[in-house]
Amino acid sequence: MIRFENVTKTYPGEYVALDHVELLIERGEFVSIVGHSGAGKSTLLKMIYAEEHPTEGVVYFNDRDLASIKRRLLPFYRRNIGTVFQDFKLLPQKTVFENVAYALEVAGESNAEIMERVPEILEIVGMLSKADSYPRQLSGGEQQKVCMARALVHNPLVIVADEPTGNLDPVSTWEIVQLLLKINSLGTTILLATHNKGIVDKLNRRVIALERGKIVHDQQKGKYII
Amino acid sequence: MDIKNERLLKLSRTFKEGFHNFRRNGLLSVATVSVLGVSLYVMSATILIGVVANSVLGNIRDNIEISVYFNPTVPEERILEIKGKLEGYREIKSVGYVSKEQALDEFKKLSADDSAITQALEEVGENPLLSSLSVKAHDPAQYELISSSLRDSSYASDISRINYDRNKERIERLSTIVGLIEQVGLTLGIVFVVIGVLITFNAIRLTMYAHKGEFEVMRLVGASNLYIRMPFVFEGIFYGTVSAVVVFLMLLGTARFAAPLTQGALAEGNMFDFYLNNFFLILGALLFSGILLGVVSSFIAIKRYLKV
Repeated sequence: MIRFENVTKTYPGEYVALDHVELLIERGEFVSIVGHSGAGKSTLLKMIYAEEHPTEGVVYFNDRDLASIKRRLLPFYRRNIGTVFQDFKLLPQKTVFENVAYALEVAGESNAEIMERVPEILEIVGMLSKADSYPRQLSGGEQQKVCMARALVHNPLVIVADEPTGNLDPVSTWEIVQLLLKINSLGTTILLATHNKGIVDKLNRRVIALERGKIVHDQQKGKYII
Repeated sequence: MDIKNERLLKLSRTFKEGFHNFRRNGLLSVATVSVLGVSLYVMSATILIGVVANSVLGNIRDNIEISVYFNPTVPEERILEIKGKLEGYREIKSVGYVSKEQALDEFKKLSADDSAITQALEEVGENPLLSSLSVKAHDPAQYELISSSLRDSSYASDISRINYDRNKERIERLSTIVGLIEQVGLTLGIVFVVIGVLITFNAIRLTMYAHKGEFEVMRLVGASNLYIRMPFVFEGIFYGTVSAVVVFLMLLGTARFAAPLTQGALAEGNMFDFYLNNFFLILGALLFSGILLGVVSSFIAIKRYLKV
């Protein structure tokens, strides 16, 4: 479903973030991406949601060259992908409900659809009781669950999670991972960039290790090895 | 759901979003509305003053006439004969005859309160005033010509004096003043409009700055550029609308205040009546320019600061 063909990304100043990366991710996979800071994990993920384009090579999503998507049409493409970040990126002026609803509003979903879908998804992540809270009133783990809800509400084909547990305590971390597993079991492809050795080892799923922009390991049922 | 409905839905959503921004900005919104309001106020006050001044000038122009006074020895028949001749000219609109008796009655009426004058008139015993013809031209510019041709005509010897010169000076001075008011007002208006646009632009820029981190999020959850931008356009519209309404009320107060000063100067009576008669026109014009100012400012801010 996602294919990197000889992808190189150079940032200004000759900094090479990705170096001739070849990668194929199939539908329904759960892929952990590990590596030190600056190894290229975030760059790799950004290319999937078309925030960055390769300097060389091509990234395909369902056989579509992402660089060929017109800027104007990017928002439509992005509705295929749910994103979760270390710093949550919730809209501070909106309640939990409104934050999740926003993702549907921008896609022009009807109010009836929103009223039905948002509570459903909040229930799944266990945040329905806090629907009227503002992000600042929530703990890190709770905020991240709201982000997961927002990422999920479109029924995306892929969830891209960039260090989602980086700011969380061990209990919350494990809750988030459980949630990712649950989502994956329903058929959604998951890409998880993480530093957390414990998680990766426990998951026992595909692991891709990056080092200075190159893929150094790619193992099914892998461990965290760097 | 069809596309038209979806557009309407998105429009109403971005409208609400813009309204929330406008409300949440609090003091910033108040400041923006104030400055935008001052710009609008100066502009429209200038226009109103211009309208009044022009109307006054027009009234005066319409009332301009030159009076040709005849020597006391000239008989009435001769004057009427001259009147007939004058009426034949293309440039002349009308000629009225005022006999010395009529002139005296008029004069007595005007100075009835002034005992010194009434007394003086009695003292003189006979009518000291002259018979005259009052000449109106189609075009005020023609008076110069009419006046000089009268002076050169065959009946010049019958004419005592022509009072054209005194009026001429008054008219010219008034034109200069009106011109000056319009120029100063227009310049001030433009200056304030520019300041208003800058401040509105700045206010919207600040809102954008406050929301800076959110644009990225909005994009990532699939919001189109238009969807992110529209709330700011609506915000500008709100600034413009509120300022326009505020200025409308302020102008209403101003017109009420200026009403006694302008009594009779306008065809409508005074400035307040003029304002009421043109209620919807003025409100419409204010709303239009207010919204235009707000939207233009928004667009500048979006173009410069919302690179999405």
